Amino acid sequence: MPLPRRSLLAFPGLLAAPALAQADQRPTLTIAVQKLSNSNTFEPPREQSNVGFRVHGLYAEQLIGTDWLEGARLVPGLAESWRRVDARTLDLTLRAGVRFHDGREMTAEDVVFSFGERLFGTQGATGEGRSGILAGSAGKEPPPEVIAVARRTYPGLERIEVLDSRRIRFVNRTPDVTLEGRIAQSVGAILSRAAFAAAESWLAWARAPVGTGPYRIAEFRPDTLLVLEAHDAYWGGRPPARRLRFVEVPEVSGRINGLFAGEFDFACDIPPDQIAVVERNPRFEVLGSPINNIRKFAFDKTHPVLADPRVRRAMSHSVDREAIVQALWAGRTRIPRGMQMESYGEMYLSDWENPRFDPAEARRLLREAGYRGDPIPYRLLNNYYTNQVANAQIAVEMWRAVGLNVQIEMRENFAQVTARTPGRALRDWSNTSIFGDPVAGILRSFGPRTEAERNGEWTNEEFDRVSAALEAETDMARRRAQFRRILAILEREDPAYIVLHHAAAFTAKRRDIRWRASSGWAMVFGPGNLGTGA
Amino acid sequence: MVRFLLSRLLRAAVTIVLVVTFAFVVLRLSGDPAQIIMGADAPPEAVDAFRTAWGLDQPVWVQYFHYFGAIASGDLGRSMRDGREAIVLVAERIPATLALTVPALLIKLLLGIPAGIYAALHRNSAVDRALMVAAVAGFTVPSFVLGLLLVLVFAVQLGWLPSGGQESWRHAILPVATLGIGGAAVLARFTRSAMLEVLGQPYIRTASAKGLTWRAVVWSHALPNAAIPTVTIVGFMVGSLIAGAVVVESVFSWPGVGRLMVVAVANRDLAVVQCILLLVAATMVVANLTVDVLYGVLDPRLRTGIRRAGAG
Repeated sequence: MPLPRRSLLAFPGLLAAPALAQADQRPTLTIAVQKLSNSNTFEPPREQSNVGFRVHGLYAEQLIGTDWLEGARLVPGLAESWRRVDARTLDLTLRAGVRFHDGREMTAEDVVFSFGERLFGTQGATGEGRSGILAGSAGKEPPPEVIAVARRTYPGLERIEVLDSRRIRFVNRTPDVTLEGRIAQSVGAILSRAAFAAAESWLAWARAPVGTGPYRIAEFRPDTLLVLEAHDAYWGGRPPARRLRFVEVPEVSGRINGLFAGEFDFACDIPPDQIAVVERNPRFEVLGSPINNIRKFAFDKTHPVLADPRVRRAMSHSVDREAIVQALWAGRTRIPRGMQMESYGEMYLSDWENPRFDPAEARRLLREAGYRGDPIPYRLLNNYYTNQVANAQIAVEMWRAVGLNVQIEMRENFAQVTARTPGRALRDWSNTSIFGDPVAGILRSFGPRTEAERNGEWTNEEFDRVSAALEAETDMARRRAQFRRILAILEREDPAYIVLHHAAAFTAKRRDIRWRASSGWAMVFGPGNLGTGA
Repeated sequence: MVRFLLSRLLRAAVTIVLVVTFAFVVLRLSGDPAQIIMGADAPPEAVDAFRTAWGLDQPVWVQYFHYFGAIASGDLGRSMRDGREAIVLVAERIPATLALTVPALLIKLLLGIPAGIYAALHRNSAVDRALMVAAVAGFTVPSFVLGLLLVLVFAVQLGWLPSGGQESWRHAILPVATLGIGGAAVLARFTRSAMLEVLGQPYIRTASAKGLTWRAVVWSHALPNAAIPTVTIVGFMVGSLIAGAVVVESVFSWPGVGRLMVVAVANRDLAVVQCILLLVAATMVVANLTVDVLYGVLDPRLRTGIRRAGAG
């Protein structure tokens, strides 16, 4: 049983107190989540999901980190600094004294392994094979989907050179100004080469990868419990919790009841309509904010009705995003300026506007297109996304108000939604920006090699050309112009989707625990983000 | 008797083949496991790689024959979700499920049958009415509502018991109670009806008329005859020991076979679903066979019938 409150109260100033005083008195926190892991593994390339992103950073780190509490900016991680040599080459200096959970010190060989056998198996990053295979890795070839994810994440990676014991060089085949962001992704976690060699199998390894994060994986019971224990040799300072217990509670009522009953300290995945329920109890509060994921309606432009872009534009002008955010999210999320994040930095187009809510313009476009009330099927999942069904019902009424006949068809899973069968026209989707650049956002959904293009929902020759140019471009002014053109095509000229709002993640917690929610899926329990008192 | 058992086993085997085939067809035609397991945002290359690795790019009928060939050689397959053998995954969860369903079955038997008998013997009394009101409430309230109600009262309001999880015996109390109350209510109603029917039969009047005490009439004549329909429903409950707690396991976050099945179906993790279905079908078959044998024990006419059938 957890004793969080007592131990927390008996523990003045978790963060400031001397390390000695913290011994044995750090709290054990119990966190109720809807799902622990979709794949029953914790190897980041195999568990690329919101549930995986929630815990990755607790046990594994990258050379370049992401500060999820401060605008998702890139910060030094296991590399204390990095320097661009040219558009294809990046040198990184490893942090000294970093220890893995198995007690070993991190070396350049661990970095080479993490971007080598671990991700690409015997094929190597370029697919041409490797001459030397790590001893002990026989039979531990990563599953093909891991290699595919790795290739997608590092499409241009040519080689990694060890310059000296603390300096590493990444060399790309093609110019890539986003290499830093790619290295910061969870797929690029630096894990222990020796622990991999010692593991019985790839699966055994993937269930408890040995990283450098503030907590180590101590126990995992699939679909039930994940226990993380403090890694006291953590380079960033002593972790403030002795143990984190993530328990899987699939029902939201179960998570809230367990919180109220004092069994949980945190309850994750709280839908917006339950925020008031939780906060009626003065002992608890709900934290959360918009995250690096944007909800959208996606079009199939091959559908006979939607083939005319004017109909798609009319649909876009009919959606009152602000009303949806107020009605379903109590105003606790925000509407982005198109499919982009503020974390894009220089690439953020602060003057970009969504198609405005304008029913008159929608009606005009429909008249111009000669639309006569033909049905537009809308394949819908039952709340895969938060508020999905309610959102769909509201949108259908907004479309009806301008004369659009959108008809909801319930489906059970994504495969049914995207199936290339007659009647595919409109669906829900979302887009996560895994680091601060359009390449990591909208270009993962649309363009060559993406799902939307392969399954034939949306293609556009100019878009393909400009997006390919953007990926290879290094001049920021030209990149901004290319991105602006991409948004113009996707959102105005040949609409591929309608931007709705940022997704938001809400976590209920005991009010007496001082903790900040992140701006992504990640939960941060490292030094500096846990304390007690008001 | 041997022929009787063989015919039942043959029927059971056909049932299992049909169940497994039906599940295969429904699961494979209602969604692509690769897309579901890899997630909506997985790169298409990763989904393709997964599909190829698991043979999902083969025609469905080829997959079906591969699957059946593997079953015939004793290989129930591996979970596509985490790569482990399906039978191992399922076997790991059975103790947790039995930890709920066996005590719940005892509660059903110990509460439901005596309550039904008592209510029948005191028909239209205040106790009968009270018991039947409770029984109707017990089996009409869905288990997830009853479970949440118990959690609200005993975990949230009173703080006496944990609201979910599987860390100690205390965690089992509310889910066992949820399962047990509903089942006891069903048994009470069933037993009462069976008893009332038997008590109205001429042989009960005859037994009373020939001077037997009421207790002897009930024990020797009413109960054995009323047991036959009750045994049928108990047999069904025994057959549900493995998969009878799907909803309750979800409500109480109890990591049993039921929750595994929900996750496996949602992920189209075919090998795991099939393994559970085989297990459930086998349990049902054994329970039905046991019930058939018990019929013979309880009703001499059936014993004679089986012997005659065997001789013929």
